[in-house]
Amino acid sequence: MSRPTKTTLASEFRPWLRVLDWRRRRLWKGAGLMLLTVIAAIGLLALSGWFITATAIAGVLAAAGVAISLGVYIPGGGIRLFAVLRTGARYLERIYNHDTVLRLLADLRANLFAVLIRLDGRELARLRAAEWLNRLTADIDTLDGLYLRLLAPPLVALVAIVAVSALLGFFAPWVGGAVLLALLALWTWLVLGQSWLGMAPSQRRVATLDRLRMRAIEQLQGLAELRCYRTLTEHRHTLEAEEDALYADQRRLGRRQALGSALVSLGVGLSAVLALWLAAEAHIGERLSGPLTVMMPLAVLALNEALASLPMAFTQLGATRAAARRLNELAALRGAIGESESPEEIAESGALSASLDDVSLHYLKGHADSLPPALDNVSLTLAPGERLALVGASGAGKSSVAQLLVRLIEPTTGKVSVGGQDVRQLSPVALRGRIGYLTQQVELFHDSLATNLRLANPEASDAELWNALELVELEGWAQALPQGLETWVGESGRQLSGGQARRVALARVLLTDADLLILDEPFAGLDEATATSIAARLDGWFGERSVLYLAHDDTGLPGVNRTLRLHEGRLG
Amino acid sequence: MVESELTPRGWLRKQAEGVRGWLLIATLAGIVAGLLTLAQMGLLAWTISRLIEGVDSPATLGGVFLGLIGVIVLRCVAQWGQESAALEASLRVRARVRSALLDHLGALGPVRLGDRHSAGLAGQLVDQVEALEGHFARFLPQLRLTLVLPLIILAVVAWLDWLAALFLLLAAPLIPLFMALVGMGAERLNREQFVAVTRLAGQFLDRVRGLTTLQLFNRAESTVDEVFTAADDYRARSMRTLRLAFLSSAVLEFFASVAIAVVAIYIGFGLLGYIAFGPADELTLFSGLFILLLAPEFFQPLRTLSQHYHDRAAALGAADGLVTLLKLPAPSAQAATRQRMNKAAVRLSRLCVSHPGRGRVLGPLDLTVTAGECIVLVGPSGAGKSTLLQVLAGFVEIESGEADVPSSAIAWMDQRPWLVQGSLADNLRLVAPDADQARLLDAAERAGLGELLASLPDGLQTPLGERGMGLSGGQAQRLALARVFLSRARLVLLDEPTANLDRASEARIVASLQALQDEGRTLIVATHHPALMAMADRVLTIDAGLVSADTRGANVTAH
Repeated sequence: MSRPTKTTLASEFRPWLRVLDWRRRRLWKGAGLMLLTVIAAIGLLALSGWFITATAIAGVLAAAGVAISLGVYIPGGGIRLFAVLRTGARYLERIYNHDTVLRLLADLRANLFAVLIRLDGRELARLRAAEWLNRLTADIDTLDGLYLRLLAPPLVALVAIVAVSALLGFFAPWVGGAVLLALLALWTWLVLGQSWLGMAPSQRRVATLDRLRMRAIEQLQGLAELRCYRTLTEHRHTLEAEEDALYADQRRLGRRQALGSALVSLGVGLSAVLALWLAAEAHIGERLSGPLTVMMPLAVLALNEALASLPMAFTQLGATRAAARRLNELAALRGAIGESESPEEIAESGALSASLDDVSLHYLKGHADSLPPALDNVSLTLAPGERLALVGASGAGKSSVAQLLVRLIEPTTGKVSVGGQDVRQLSPVALRGRIGYLTQQVELFHDSLATNLRLANPEASDAELWNALELVELEGWAQALPQGLETWVGESGRQLSGGQARRVALARVLLTDADLLILDEPFAGLDEATATSIAARLDGWFGERSVLYLAHDDTGLPGVNRTLRLHEGRLG
Repeated sequence: MVESELTPRGWLRKQAEGVRGWLLIATLAGIVAGLLTLAQMGLLAWTISRLIEGVDSPATLGGVFLGLIGVIVLRCVAQWGQESAALEASLRVRARVRSALLDHLGALGPVRLGDRHSAGLAGQLVDQVEALEGHFARFLPQLRLTLVLPLIILAVVAWLDWLAALFLLLAAPLIPLFMALVGMGAERLNREQFVAVTRLAGQFLDRVRGLTTLQLFNRAESTVDEVFTAADDYRARSMRTLRLAFLSSAVLEFFASVAIAVVAIYIGFGLLGYIAFGPADELTLFSGLFILLLAPEFFQPLRTLSQHYHDRAAALGAADGLVTLLKLPAPSAQAATRQRMNKAAVRLSRLCVSHPGRGRVLGPLDLTVTAGECIVLVGPSGAGKSTLLQVLAGFVEIESGEADVPSSAIAWMDQRPWLVQGSLADNLRLVAPDADQARLLDAAERAGLGELLASLPDGLQTPLGERGMGLSGGQAQRLALARVFLSRARLVLLDEPTANLDRASEARIVASLQALQDEGRTLIVATHHPALMAMADRVLTIDAGLVSADTRGANVTAH
């Protein structure tokens, strides 16, 4: 890995800083509240120190019989004001900044989703396989702390340092200057030095954690083999090696972070001692009053609070950076699906024809030479109104044919046409509006049954929904549900059995009222009686529509005119 | 092994006991740091009072200044020690918990875990274990410090001026009460946040997973707005509860600030001689400043603790999931493997297997398989064929009867070829870590992968994509078969090895299995496919958990 440099760090965060920039006003206000909290804390301690010293001196003088006039009510009021201000500002700051972070989260998610919808089917399948999608939310959550951990606190700390130094400098320039230099050095170390110390291990940690997760999945998936072959221990060693590497980095990071925290105490403590020493010299020389002398080290001590969060934030900077980089890579992916300059509508009305013309498809771009293609010079034609069954084992390339027709993927070579027009000339919206595709993997959303069905046709009336459910013989089941169409069908449709989920998805495809239907294993997971009965209903409903079935074999599929067999990417 | 009434809290406590030493070091270092803070503030107050009262000048106090610097340095060292020791405790707990989980998952075996998603389990194994971090690294040591340090500080303040100590005590009427207040607020906040955030993240992921469906229905564009609205709605709703929940820590802040103000004003007025009662007339600049400097330190441990409360909530949430997993009873595998082998490869006598909720699924069953035999199990799905194979593999518990199977390695292959990320060689070596290149090539050749290997420029070193993408179903199955050849296991168990294959692939697998049998290995195959049945020495028909027919196979009749 190349050494991280400042420029690449900046370029990696730039897109995300741009997202933050939309909320510029809120961010400044939030930082302002943070600053107010810090100033109030400093004011409380410094003014109290001043007050106590002033009263002590006055008390001694009064005891000696010297008449003194010390206004106790203004500083007393000031102390109370700072006390209340600190509480109030802190409360408001937490509320306000929490709100901001949640707004940023909404921005980031919407932003990223807009990136994802441009990806093609192949990229999506690859990301899904890599568990990438599961990491998405974690990465976004890491990034939404960019402002609250990495931008606002160092800025507020810097302003507080300058403000305290200016205050001290106003009364004693030497003290102010010395404190400024000492604390700036500390601040610089905390921001740059801690980043530098933590960069490599904190970035590596993210990658190691991913590998550990991958090994864990492997071990769980292969438990039968590993136990039978008696090699569970060996595989566990590879998993434990990743864990050891992870913990070595965590130990390194934890200790370096602890070093940073210790340095905050050390730096602030020594600066306070320095301030006291220099102020006392000035006091001896009668250039500084006693109360002001005491105020100086106390004001410096109170800065501890402003600096305390920096070591953790910056030692772990690499993790945020890794998240940003991963999301940047995602944003940089371009689906192969380009929009035509002047997209056309499909001219053919009624039942649609479709054809593949000498189409080849390579699965992984990098392995085009070494691994067999998913489709190898496939040509096929579906006439309008025809019902064609494309059969073959799983992995034979059936789903690829379907994905080509709806333009979720592009062929490596060859031409795909729908309605006699090259799909590249058609607008994807127009194309997908005319094709109903039941995918092999059923995707139901965590939402009501009605909402899931209406995805296909937002304008569909309840009657139309019931009609579609009747076609897949779920009408009775849905009527028996206490909440009917409003029943929540749960995450990935888990509240439904596999067969029910498949039928809901089938009903959804039927609601599109498409002119070409592509049905991948429409009756998988159904018992034979139900499958036969649904097949009979569909046979009538299909009417003149074109249908392409994808299945292991063509038994039970209604009204098949012709069957083509696909074997390892070749028609035969 | 695990008591049934194990609660997440109890389990966390038990884990803490395992790293008692490190936690003790962390706590002691924290107390030392606290005492050094006390010393630092005392020295500072004393130095200041000497300077202001004109008794000393910086030059005459050189030694004291050096001492002050020394105390500050020592305090930093103690702080570092506290954090590092707590970190060590947390690392050790996590490594230990993960190891225990791996043991447990291994013991549960593939059948007990069959209905669970492996990515979800891996998430528990990785992320939930990592979620324990803060509880041990920050919360626990801080909790102990919160019980000790304020008391020490209070004692010092009381020694200096009991009235000031009373103010501190009044400001925090009872520290436990305070902690409960903070704890309840923070815990409820965290729980609600946790649930809401998880739900929102789930919704987002749900949309991302279903992206293809959204694209197909031309709904992807409109979902972008939906994603934003969902997150924004959540924000509006959670802000309502947050306003209340943040109040509990605001109360703590308020008392801390007000206590400092009250103490400062009391000391000021006392020094001026305005307060005629109590110990106020004994106040000096030294004791006054010292008390003032200690007032924030009195509240600091509690404030830090409230910052770490979410660590505890996260750990409790994770512990909940982990304890549930650890409570799953593992099958007692020792019943399945006993070595009383003579010539028979497998002997089952009066074997019965029950599944919870389903009653008896297999047996009583007697079966003797001689070495080198090829047995094919046929019968309707759910009849018990797979269960029989699982018994032989030792994955399920025997209800009664005896099963004598080899205790050495067994070869296993089912309809779902297991592939890992890595090269073809890595995938083969999973069953024989020490195998050399020649053995790997030989096994691949015999499993019918020779043609594929010849077409790959990198041969066995060719990496497989994510989840072995790039291999067809047949090729992946042949890779699994190559593992069988590679292993030296005498007993080979095959569960529907050709279920998802087309006829050509099936024929190649059958040919390879024939070769395995010719090597003298014992094959037991569950299948529906006639091509596989044709190679059997004996065909056992299994129906409703019983052997309904035991016929000589076509293989034998052909000879």
